[in-house]
Amino acid sequence: MSDPAVTVEVRDAHVSYRVFEEPAMGLKQGFARGRMRRQYRMIPAVQGVTLDLFERETLGLIGPNGAGKSTLLAAMTGLLPLRSGSIRGRSRPSLLGVSSVLRPALSGRRNILIGGLALGFTRAEVERRMDEIIDFAGLRADIDRPMRTYSSGMRARLRFAIATARIPEILLIDEVLTVGDEEFRRLAAERIDDVRSASGSVVLVTHNMNEIRRFCDRVVWLDEGRIRAVGDPAEIVDSYLAAPSHNSR
Amino acid sequence: MSTEAVDGSGSSSSEDAPVRPLIDLTSRPTARSYLREAWRRREFAIVVPAQDLRAQNMDTTLGQLWHLVNPALLVGVYFLVFGVIIDTRRGVDNFLGFLIVGVVLFHLTQRVTLEASTSITQNMGLIRSIQFPRILLPAASVNGQTAAFVPALALAILAVLATGELPTLRWLVLPAVLAAQFAFNFGTALLVARIGTTLPDLRQILPHLFRLLFYGSGVIFSVDAFVQSAAWRRAFALNPLYDVITCARWCLLGEPVDLWVVAGLVTWCIVMPAIGFWVFHRSEQRLGA
Repeated sequence: MSDPAVTVEVRDAHVSYRVFEEPAMGLKQGFARGRMRRQYRMIPAVQGVTLDLFERETLGLIGPNGAGKSTLLAAMTGLLPLRSGSIRGRSRPSLLGVSSVLRPALSGRRNILIGGLALGFTRAEVERRMDEIIDFAGLRADIDRPMRTYSSGMRARLRFAIATARIPEILLIDEVLTVGDEEFRRLAAERIDDVRSASGSVVLVTHNMNEIRRFCDRVVWLDEGRIRAVGDPAEIVDSYLAAPSHNSR
Repeated sequence: MSTEAVDGSGSSSSEDAPVRPLIDLTSRPTARSYLREAWRRREFAIVVPAQDLRAQNMDTTLGQLWHLVNPALLVGVYFLVFGVIIDTRRGVDNFLGFLIVGVVLFHLTQRVTLEASTSITQNMGLIRSIQFPRILLPAASVNGQTAAFVPALALAILAVLATGELPTLRWLVLPAVLAAQFAFNFGTALLVARIGTTLPDLRQILPHLFRLLFYGSGVIFSVDAFVQSAAWRRAFALNPLYDVITCARWCLLGEPVDLWVVAGLVTWCIVMPAIGFWVFHRSEQRLGA
């Protein structure tokens, strides 16, 4: 068929994880009960998702808290094992999530160097791109301050700038844009375009429906680990917001 | 709104000649491609520890000089206590040289292990932001601590010369002994980095483990002089640090070395990296979670 090429192919993916039914045990309780292993239940987080991600596409992933959005992204990067089903892709996706900082004690500049080397740049390549990355992060004035002195928006910008310094083929963004300002969102849009124009794909998880409308070509609505609807962003967002089960934020 | 776009069009596009074949994203890369990828990014494991070492003493008066002063103090204290204050012999010709070689080499493995045990947990921010072979993190610990150890080694060799030893052909074997220790340290680093992610208590346990090991490694006494039974002496060969230290003393001081000790060292420097890599690689993907 004449479909655009698939970059990630998710087939009937099931992911469960453990929820412990008792608090973490110290040695004392462990001995008292004669075991260290805690009792747990397997909670199904993703239950049979089938999905294709195409070249040059930005896919939005929406759903209430606990719908399995982040779990699905983690499974796509191989961070969580599948219980059944399969996920195949052209290359390992880069997952960008909300986390603290790279190296809080080091300056923004040093963090760029470290991140760049982890991405597989040589030192010389990082140095050559340094100014570009600093400008992208919009941190020219603050780049030599320790990263722990940055605001959460500045941290998010810097991490985004570093993680996308090498344009990934498959970029998964989990609630990252929410913390940035309008300028950051504009730059993020630029990077998302870079990924797409290099025949890549982007998956965007967010609770912000404006981001969905603005960035996405297609939206998947996840609910309790299953796909509830897929399609045109405007249409899906409307019915998502209208759904009684959904708590608007 | 409906589900037409996802399954309907998805299944049709699966087999028509894609640019590149799709790879399974849920399984870990093979050991070979994993190592190749890590090697490609080896600069990380060199530049990052260099930066950390530089950042370490930034707030002190002596600054970068500490990288030399610290090992000098380590060697100096033993020199003072055992060379000047208590002049001990205990069946060793050059006890001071004997002691310093032991202390410095033991210290290296201890530092590498302690540092590596937190190498994953301390870098969660990096792990969660960027996909890269996590083996680079313990590798950075090993490289950093090994680099920081070079001045101490130089001082130890100076101390050996100062106590009346002359270089012999045996000294040429020392690099091989140190390479074996490096390999052993690397394997240990991978193992403790992995254990440290599920058992953060390891950081508290390790110093005590090393204190125990210190006495079992003949760092401050000659095992040959204290242990009469040959069978028991052979048991010491099971201790990798005893093997390293004894072989290094053979090189620098001409102390006797048992064949069992050499065999122990050779075995450890092969087995430990293999164990460490196996353990680390098989849980690589879970390290970020």
